[in-house]
Amino acid sequence: MKKNMPPDELARDGRFVRVNMVERISDPRNGRGPTGGRVGARLTPDRPGAPDAARALMHGIFVGEIQALEGAGRTCWDFEVGAGSDDVPFQLKLDMARQCWDEARHCEISVKLSEWMGTEIGEFAESTFLFEAACNPDPVLRLTGVNRALEGLAIDVFNTMKEFGNVVGDPVLEFCEDWMLADEVTHVKMGSDWLRRLTVDDPERRKRALEFQRIVDKLFSGGGFRGDDEDSPVHLARRFREMAGFTVDEIDEISDLARQARAEARARTAGATAGAAAEAG
Amino acid sequence: MADPKKPRAPFAPWDRRELPGTFTVEDTAKRVGHYKWVEMRLFEALGGWVATVPELDVKMRLGTHCYKHAWHSELWHKRLPELREMNPDRLTRPPNEAMEEFFKVLTEPEDQGQTIEKLVGVYRVLIPRKIAAYTYHLNNTSTITDAPTIRSLKLALNDEFDDWRDGEMLIQALIETDEEVERAAAHQTRLEKIMLRAGGVAGPGSLGSVPETMTEEVPV
Repeated sequence: MKKNMPPDELARDGRFVRVNMVERISDPRNGRGPTGGRVGARLTPDRPGAPDAARALMHGIFVGEIQALEGAGRTCWDFEVGAGSDDVPFQLKLDMARQCWDEARHCEISVKLSEWMGTEIGEFAESTFLFEAACNPDPVLRLTGVNRALEGLAIDVFNTMKEFGNVVGDPVLEFCEDWMLADEVTHVKMGSDWLRRLTVDDPERRKRALEFQRIVDKLFSGGGFRGDDEDSPVHLARRFREMAGFTVDEIDEISDLARQARAEARARTAGATAGAAAEAG
Repeated sequence: MADPKKPRAPFAPWDRRELPGTFTVEDTAKRVGHYKWVEMRLFEALGGWVATVPELDVKMRLGTHCYKHAWHSELWHKRLPELREMNPDRLTRPPNEAMEEFFKVLTEPEDQGQTIEKLVGVYRVLIPRKIAAYTYHLNNTSTITDAPTIRSLKLALNDEFDDWRDGEMLIQALIETDEEVERAAAHQTRLEKIMLRAGGVAGPGSLGSVPETMTEEVPV
């Protein structure tokens, strides 16, 4: 079995449909426009299309958990135990194996919740964007991108879904999301701890890792999908992020990145609208 | 109420533990080092395969089993310094070249259509061999002096039996044709031959040597 598996080789059965990130975001059931800009608002029961948006989000969580499982598994396989820059400590591999188990449970939970919400596997498309962050050949960058950026996003998403479960009176949803949230805080803390330990004598590597995290964070803030603003569909879960090792400054920075991503998405939407109007005229 | 001054035997009548055992401290450390090496190679392989299997139930099981074997490797890793091996990496090694070859062949299947081969290697060859070696160790070590190893063996064996059953049931559910039966058998045979040369997960003596008395006729 080779090391460093490319994302297009991820194994799926015939129900799954793979698309790119733009196509996935453009699915009208997400409550987003064709350019990825939000046309809906915060995920609340009274929002137009809320059931479809919630089902789309839950299916997205499910495929995200599959890719998180695959990413953690590949980290167990791709790196040797050692002290070299391409190697990882034994304990890091154990943490990744533990994460495999956690993500496997999250797959089980989210597929059952999806079914509970009336969704079939493959009803929404999958992009491999999450796994792509788990392909970085530098273990420190991989851990930072996956465990701090993506698992950090998972904290925000699960907290949002937990609140949604509470608002709509779905105790099963609220209960399950709370359990998954606990695991995600652990995973982010693992990422924060390993980043600090592996770069204690290498500030340059730490800088590169944090830059990679910023890129991933910005991409996953996708047009204001996640942020601090009241109408952001997914809210930054500040308290849980602090528990996971983020400083207030770091959370503020993610909030700024999200705002920036949202402004850029709005500019793109405005440009597309103006272009369409000019063509029509 | 019992008289607190009344002398009692240090071992209760039902406690039949004994001092003698088959393994010295050095023997035990060596075996434990092989166990750790095997558990590490196994959890790495299971983790790597997760992304290569399209079957959802298998994918999720492999992710779960990956952690169990990682945890076993941690148990053995922590046991080594207690057995006077202060550099656990020194003894974290395969028992011989045949065992290295075994893992090379075990992890050869990569294609999405080779789930049967992946599972057969682990659940029909390796895990039964681990159960055998762990059970032999459990039944032959000193029940008093080596109690910490016994505890770890029991914890690991509990997982191994559960995972063996999981894996075997997955294999039975996946095999649907004569051709798949033959594929499974061919891969199992190939791996068994290498394992035979290796002598088991701890090398020759994984199951001890056959005592001469076993060859004598025993009156019933």
